Amino acid sequence: MWVLRGLRKGILTTGYPGKGLAPDEVPRSSFPPTPSADADWAKGGGLCPTGAIQGERVDAGRCVYCRRCKDAGFRFEGPAPGPMASERAALARRVLGRSLHVLVLDVGSCNGCNMEVLNLANPYYDFNRLGIFFTNTPKHADVLLAVGALNKAMVETLKRTYESMPEPKFVVAAGACAMSGGVFKDTDGFASPLGDAVPVDVEIPGCPPTPLQLLDGLLLIGGRRRAP
Amino acid sequence: MIRRFVERGPARAEGPVQPSASFSAGGRHLSILTDTDRGRTILCEAQPEERPWQRAPPGSPLELEHGGQVGGYGTFSFQYGPVAYGVQEAGAFKLATYGERVVKAVPIVNYKKRGIEGRVAGMKPEDALLLLERSAGHFSASYSTCFCTAVEDALGLDVPSRVLWDRAVAVELERIYNHVHVFAREAEAASQNVAASQANALGERVLRLNAKYFGHRYLFGFGGVGTSSADLGTQGRRRELLAGARAVAGEFAGLMDGLLSSRIFLDRLQGTARLSKEDATRLGAVGPAARGSGVEADDRHVYPAEPYHDIFVSLETEREGDSLARLTVRAREVQSSAMVLQELLDRMPPSGGVGSRGDGGEDFAICRTEGPSGDLIMALGLDGQGRLAFLHVRPSSAANWIPFAISLEGSVFTDFQFAYESFGLSFADSDG
Repeated sequence: MWVLRGLRKGILTTGYPGKGLAPDEVPRSSFPPTPSADADWAKGGGLCPTGAIQGERVDAGRCVYCRRCKDAGFRFEGPAPGPMASERAALARRVLGRSLHVLVLDVGSCNGCNMEVLNLANPYYDFNRLGIFFTNTPKHADVLLAVGALNKAMVETLKRTYESMPEPKFVVAAGACAMSGGVFKDTDGFASPLGDAVPVDVEIPGCPPTPLQLLDGLLLIGGRRRAP
Repeated sequence: MIRRFVERGPARAEGPVQPSASFSAGGRHLSILTDTDRGRTILCEAQPEERPWQRAPPGSPLELEHGGQVGGYGTFSFQYGPVAYGVQEAGAFKLATYGERVVKAVPIVNYKKRGIEGRVAGMKPEDALLLLERSAGHFSASYSTCFCTAVEDALGLDVPSRVLWDRAVAVELERIYNHVHVFAREAEAASQNVAASQANALGERVLRLNAKYFGHRYLFGFGGVGTSSADLGTQGRRRELLAGARAVAGEFAGLMDGLLSSRIFLDRLQGTARLSKEDATRLGAVGPAARGSGVEADDRHVYPAEPYHDIFVSLETEREGDSLARLTVRAREVQSSAMVLQELLDRMPPSGGVGSRGDGGEDFAICRTEGPSGDLIMALGLDGQGRLAFLHVRPSSAANWIPFAISLEGSVFTDFQFAYESFGLSFADSDG
């Protein structure tokens, strides 16, 4: 009976990364600001609560998508995650070009990133079709996908998890909190950006990054990403 | 929810009164008591003797109540987490067992203690809102609604009715996707993979509705003090949103019927992690966890502030108190939320009107909001410049850790996930 129920639904899965995105698939929760031609940088910097707009550049890792800079002429379109250091990218392409086993580690998130990571498995994104799988133990993991603002209580756990992974190993920092601390960077519990505790290979901006952005970042390891 | 439901009173009020939260502000100890029968929140200066919410996280007071020593021949304890797939979050449980059954369970929530209350003191409300929305991302609309309402109340602002209705729409959408998510996790744990996938797909559809009408998949940033940026301006857009939400609720009902006739699925949930009505009341359980045990607690009923004052919300309760009862309550609430959405969107007031409030602030306010996992309480004070003097948050999960731990005693380890998911607990939602 369940087989029939399943078949009856047809195919929901996105064409990404092979084809372009359908209009309703365009991620809508985490595009850091892109300046339009008449953007007012000084005003944008003043409106930005996390210091993502500084001088005349945007630090995507700090942006929490609060959309306040809309009034200063900024638009919201997605930057791609990455890029990776080239020798690491070559190594990743050689050993992980077809399949990835990912250990998800929450180091202090709000659960938003966790939800989006879980959503990778839903029929709309179905990351298994791309040879990406979750694993429950660091011993089986190629990639450590860390989410959240690194909490002081999780630093030791993070380091030990990283150390127990076999070589070659890659670390993905997903979300503004992992990249910079986001809005939590001045709280008592915040330790440091993830990159200060373990070497990070790929950073995926967003608050939270949508499943498509996460997929994009994971496909970057192994050199399988195509422009969305 | 707002001031007209708050009374100042002595520590011992008449009738059945539940202590719900306790905090210090300006050198005074304040307690928030709940009088469910009369629909009142009572604020008192003294600390009542029974303080179950303080036995909630993080660990130590609970261990005291449990008795530091867990006795019995062959009993040992171990820690489950914080790197554990079943928990998904940076949190852990200390479990005591003599083999297969859980003798004691102690949640350890300090792995992601961020100290939000301390950080927001002295901040402007609109900046504090950014942190509170991201306190528990999947309950963001409830946090934002609760906080903004409390600030408006403290300032004595006139708030357009439309803003209050927009917020209610967001909270109901949040309830739907969270309930669907809990259901998907339960189905996944029971290896009902087709049902889990289909439920996940329904959840994704609600997230896309959120993105389309509120600008963010998890409803971050739509609300503000006295404002809302929801895009529900035209009748056409409201109808579209309603059609989307009703389609999800309809398909979810079909899925639920299918699963609840599956003996394999029911066996995992029936009788799992039973919480008696006495325990639920005594320990102050909230939300679907309390309603599954027959406690009639729902803020939308007890404190019917606008817009809930003239909208019918069915109060869903079950008597069994097991995981199945909690899941049934959630499943029915998806349907009742869809009906509430229909009323909200059909009768949405025009923007720009003035709401029923705004009778002069007193720089202090308490707000309660019924989130997906239950009653969320915030108490805050403002200083002369309109900055936060203090903020106290009692998240819904914080109230449910002890009921969960108690209900788990005597279960076998394979029941763990069914029990954990059915309470809708979150470590992020425990950080005051």
